[in-house]
Amino acid sequence: MAKWGMVIDLDKCTGCQACTTACAMENNTLPGESWQDVLYYHEGSYPSAQMKWLPRPCMQCENPSCVHVCPTRATYKDMDAGGIVFVDWNKCIGCKYCMIACPYGVRFYADEKPLLEPDLRDIFPGQKGQLWSPPYQNPEEDWTRGIGVQPKGVVSKCTFCHHKVSKAPPGTPDLDEDNPALKEYVPACVRTCAPKARYFGDLDNPDSNVNRLIGDKHGVRLKDSSGNKPQVYYLGAGAGVPAFQPKPRS
Amino acid sequence: MSNENVMKGAMGTQLLLLSVVVLVISFGFAMMSIMSQGHASFNTNSNIPWGQPIATYLYFALASSGLGMIAALPLVFGFKQFYPIVKRAIFLAFIILISGMAVLAMELGHVFRMLWVIPFNMQIQSAMFWMGVFYVADLLFLLWKMQKMDAGDWDSKTSKQIAIGSFLAVLLASGNLALIFGMMSMRPFWFDGLLPIYFYLTAVASGLAALVFFTYLSHGFSRNKMSQPLQDLMNGALPKLFAAVLGGTLLFIAVRAITGVYTNNPEIYLVWRDYLFASPVYQASLWLGILLPFVLMLSKSLRNQPGTQMLVAVLVFGGLFAERFYFVVGGQVVPLFKGTWEWDLIQYSPSATEWALTFMGSALLFTLYLLGEKVLNLSAMPPAQK
Ligand code: SF4
Ligand code: SF4
Repeated sequence: MAKWGMVIDLDKCTGCQACTTACAMENNTLPGESWQDVLYYHEGSYPSAQMKWLPRPCMQCENPSCVHVCPTRATYKDMDAGGIVFVDWNKCIGCKYCMIACPYGVRFYADEKPLLEPDLRDIFPGQKGQLWSPPYQNPEEDWTRGIGVQPKGVVSKCTFCHHKVSKAPPGTPDLDEDNPALKEYVPACVRTCAPKARYFGDLDNPDSNVNRLIGDKHGVRLKDSSGNKPQVYYLGAGAGVPAFQPKPRS
Repeated sequence: MSNENVMKGAMGTQLLLLSVVVLVISFGFAMMSIMSQGHASFNTNSNIPWGQPIATYLYFALASSGLGMIAALPLVFGFKQFYPIVKRAIFLAFIILISGMAVLAMELGHVFRMLWVIPFNMQIQSAMFWMGVFYVADLLFLLWKMQKMDAGDWDSKTSKQIAIGSFLAVLLASGNLALIFGMMSMRPFWFDGLLPIYFYLTAVASGLAALVFFTYLSHGFSRNKMSQPLQDLMNGALPKLFAAVLGGTLLFIAVRAITGVYTNNPEIYLVWRDYLFASPVYQASLWLGILLPFVLMLSKSLRNQPGTQMLVAVLVFGGLFAERFYFVVGGQVVPLFKGTWEWDLIQYSPSATEWALTFMGSALLFTLYLLGEKVLNLSAMPPAQK
């Protein structure tokens, strides 16, 4: 089985958020439930101030702390599905310990105050256990892997678009949206990225493009000190997270 | 012995009615808002997943563990002067744990699902799995011990073994509860291998506060209505122990605060400087809720006075509740990996529903306590000690 990995080239990323939008459309997430997001940081001050940004999916960690803490095995890492970390919505009890334990802040409870008014859950009230039921939904649904519209009282997260990548022909080293035979299997965020800053492929395949990029262009994992060993790598200048700093007090 | 338990009379009934009314109102309000708005009725969110209901649960669970540890003084370690409070301590430990669990149940996304998924999936890597195991064991041991005491069995071999089992369950449960936080290296404000010791100390402090308060309450706030052995305890070992654990608590807070403020790591020092110490509520709870009680209990002339003891109990209730709240929330106020979307410490204050759960837990505790005083003889002790 493959070990799916993502490579994000920050020298190419424009911070346009198309990936975030594509993800929300693909997975019917609520505003604020950003399985994929672009984080903006500023660092330093004039005359050397910098602005940087980092697209951020779930890192699908090799050593996922969210899995270690989950008391129910609702969160699990599936080595038969490329090492993707899933949430089984039939098992999750909504204790939120995984949200405490994920160093990358990529897990969402969604049963919370709306980010934006009007609340979409009032406009499209949830049916059949869904937290909300938008009129156009991705027909793919698998609650044992946290795919579909999130039900109440559970945690959701990025699935690396398992419903797409799992259909790729076995042994494919890279899922490249420029290859017409493969484009339907490419994760939504990767497929939509206009400057082609995102790559998706098999980290276990020595011939994959993602491995070559990581090796040749010095791919790094963010917050590597967490020990979680992400399966998402970043290329280019700016691949680092500035230390937390609060707003300056007047 | 003057068994003047005023809670058995009309005053107890009135208090019981009041507690039931508060319980029904707070439970009804919380239930209605959770049913209609879900967890949107909480002020927690994906950035602060654990709020006041979790702090309340922690407060109750640890007060229960503290009472269990105090009960072990006579039952396991042979400090016989503590016999007069032991039955009340075991009973309080049991009902406080039940009240805490009730609050937790209202906080979870799927509480009934928990009952089968946890045992069927045996995720032994998770500290929260062990929390379930140890607190259920704790609850069963408390119940068993209570039943033995109520049957007048203080000294049989089984009774002693249950006491030891119960003490071990208490240590494991509260120590493991500390590790739920203390093992989280991605939350450096919590990450601390000695956290179980801090939890033990504060657990005993809150247990003593509960014990003092409820013992006075059942005797109409009058020392004269207490039995002689109980009076001796209240004039002797108990206030001294109270002073000692408050001192230990202060020491622990001090070393955590000093290392916290000293470090360059912004995820720790900013929490201490800009969240805890910047909050007047935290300041008040520290100085008035922990330091002042310690100073009062240090004075030999003051610590034995009923008025001081009751004041200290009430101050420590408040002080330690705030301590739990700021501990739980403090571990989460630095946003994890949010960039400038969350460009500051995260703001959180509990919603009306979350407050209702805190009131609900307290009202449930009072209700169960008053029922216990009516039905059981909580002042009972071994015949030889009277
Ligand atoms: S990024 Fe967070 S949610 Fe994703 S696998 Fe790692 S620890 Fe789990
Ligand atoms: S919230 Fe659900 S997925 Fe997360 S730790 Fe709890 S049971 Fe596991």
